Amino acid sequence: MKEANEKIRKGLEVLGSGEDSKLLSHLNACVRCGLCAKSCIYYLSMKDEKLIPASKVDIVASVYRRYFTFTGRQLPGLVKARDLDDKTVTEMVDLLFGSCTVCGRCVKHCSIGVDIEYVVRKGREMLSVMGYVPSTLQSTVRSALNTGNNMAISHGDFVDTLEWMEEELQDEVDDPEARIPMDEKGKKVMYTLNPREPKFFPISISAMAKVFYAAGESWTLSTRMYDVTNYAYFSCHPDEAAVISRRMYDEVNTLEAGMLVLAECGHGVRSNRWESPNYIKKQFGFEVLSSVELMAKYIREGRIRTDRGALKEKVTLHDPCNLVRGGGIFKDQRYILKQCAEDFVEMTPYGTDNFCCGGGGGQLAMSEYNERRMRIAEIKAEQIRKSGAKVVAAPCHNCIDQLSQINFTYKLNVKVKTLAEIVADSLII
Amino acid sequence: MAWYNWFGIFSLAICLAVCLYHVIRLIKLGMPVEYSGRSGSPVSGIVYSFTSAMNPSVKESASLNLPVYIAGIVYHLGTFIAGILFMTVIAGLSPSGYHLLFFAFFLFISALSGTGILIKRLTDKKLLYISLPDDYISNVLVTFFQASGGVFLLLPGSEPVFMISAGLMMLYLPVGKLRHAIYFFAARFHLGFFYGWRNVWPLHKQKVDERSK
Repeated sequence: MKEANEKIRKGLEVLGSGEDSKLLSHLNACVRCGLCAKSCIYYLSMKDEKLIPASKVDIVASVYRRYFTFTGRQLPGLVKARDLDDKTVTEMVDLLFGSCTVCGRCVKHCSIGVDIEYVVRKGREMLSVMGYVPSTLQSTVRSALNTGNNMAISHGDFVDTLEWMEEELQDEVDDPEARIPMDEKGKKVMYTLNPREPKFFPISISAMAKVFYAAGESWTLSTRMYDVTNYAYFSCHPDEAAVISRRMYDEVNTLEAGMLVLAECGHGVRSNRWESPNYIKKQFGFEVLSSVELMAKYIREGRIRTDRGALKEKVTLHDPCNLVRGGGIFKDQRYILKQCAEDFVEMTPYGTDNFCCGGGGGQLAMSEYNERRMRIAEIKAEQIRKSGAKVVAAPCHNCIDQLSQINFTYKLNVKVKTLAEIVADSLII
Repeated sequence: MAWYNWFGIFSLAICLAVCLYHVIRLIKLGMPVEYSGRSGSPVSGIVYSFTSAMNPSVKESASLNLPVYIAGIVYHLGTFIAGILFMTVIAGLSPSGYHLLFFAFFLFISALSGTGILIKRLTDKKLLYISLPDDYISNVLVTFFQASGGVFLLLPGSEPVFMISAGLMMLYLPVGKLRHAIYFFAARFHLGFFYGWRNVWPLHKQKVDERSK
């Protein structure tokens, strides 16, 4: 009983911390007009009213009303104020973790301007501090906390992979001096990776290394802290997210790098670029850039040259939610593709209106929701099919995973590539 | 001054006092401290949030639900007009002139819009699911406020009904969802700041197309 009360106290503390006016504003603004329904991939795919974004806001707001408003305390029935009990927690887990990719599409289209994504993340934070994160997601966070990367790749295996990729790079550019530098101090760029790369797609490491080679960049990888991801950003546990953020910050300083460059990973870019400074409550003293921005810069400045006709097949672009809606990177990926591909077409809709692939918000890590994840992916499959493209570019390894599964499940017969792979293939060296 | 006028003034005073409390609380809590390096302009984001971001062409909630969107706009305009009418009465002024017919007509249309929105809420499966008693009460109070305002413009003898409906609505405003009258502005402000800081808003589609050529 005492333990249960302590959990409730911790959960409510998230809502009642009174840090600033943002949460208070968004919790009180929703008018339950329901017009957000058609912006949500879950509702569009399943037509279940409990999946409407407003419903996700309301389950958090109902708890807020119960404990923090006069009406909710005195007349809970009037405003359907809910106790933070087992039933509410179970529903919250299913709605906020299992039925939302936190893509933020509904936010842009909310008639009022409620930051639905922010409220959902606060709800996840409540569940997180109470210990109710789905075990699959939590184990990914724990891997990162315990081993330094979310896939628990050993240091030896990682170094072996890099050495192997270095050989590949040397063969590719026909230069025995071409390198993938490790743990070198004082370089201009400290580059990061999504652990999926050394584990499943090592070719994308050599692709980016080839880009650095062509640009003549002064760069290094850290073998201690290279993981661009921060799954605690999905579980929304502020202390765990801060530990992971702090490690990256410390590593850049240890290696005395001038710039942190983030691999193609939507949430990795968002969490490191935008959220990490807030997690550790510190302004970074170095520049943080996504590899997408960096590659576009190289092309614009003439540091690398690409063959505009290198990619002849029709290519379309998937906009990762965290990169575009949550990070403001919209132009550079398009610029890059137009420098490498003959025939680039947008999906409909695209940019800040683009639909999530379905793998965001930690969904790929939560296998208990796999069936739903692939069901909501039908929207993305249709977008790709209608574009007529044979290649789908996605500057996010998380999205690449989901898009590859969509490709197989919905029989799209397309190739799914990162931008680094496309740039590397079209480099004129 | 008649008792119903006093009731109206009393309700207005209570409403303003509680709303002021909400506003002061928001101001005292302040903005979140942002440690990340700014990429865009929060001011431009906020301006965009209150202007172009509300345009149906960039907002699906409006463009995909145009009849409801228009009904909502008319409904809100009706509330402002009824509010001005209420203030006129409180100030001891007697509305007169032919234009009153226009305002009365508009208030009936807006009350009709409100009734339509209420019917939709009662019949649409997804709206029924997310609705609270508060939603129905708020709608009925505001719709009645507008309708009674329209009747009052045509039949001045119905002033007590109008003043009582205004008073009830104002007493309810701070405790239910009608307080979005305050939080709407706060929410859009925060959203504009957030997207502006990250250079997501304002959207720059035209510039992109030009640069990519």
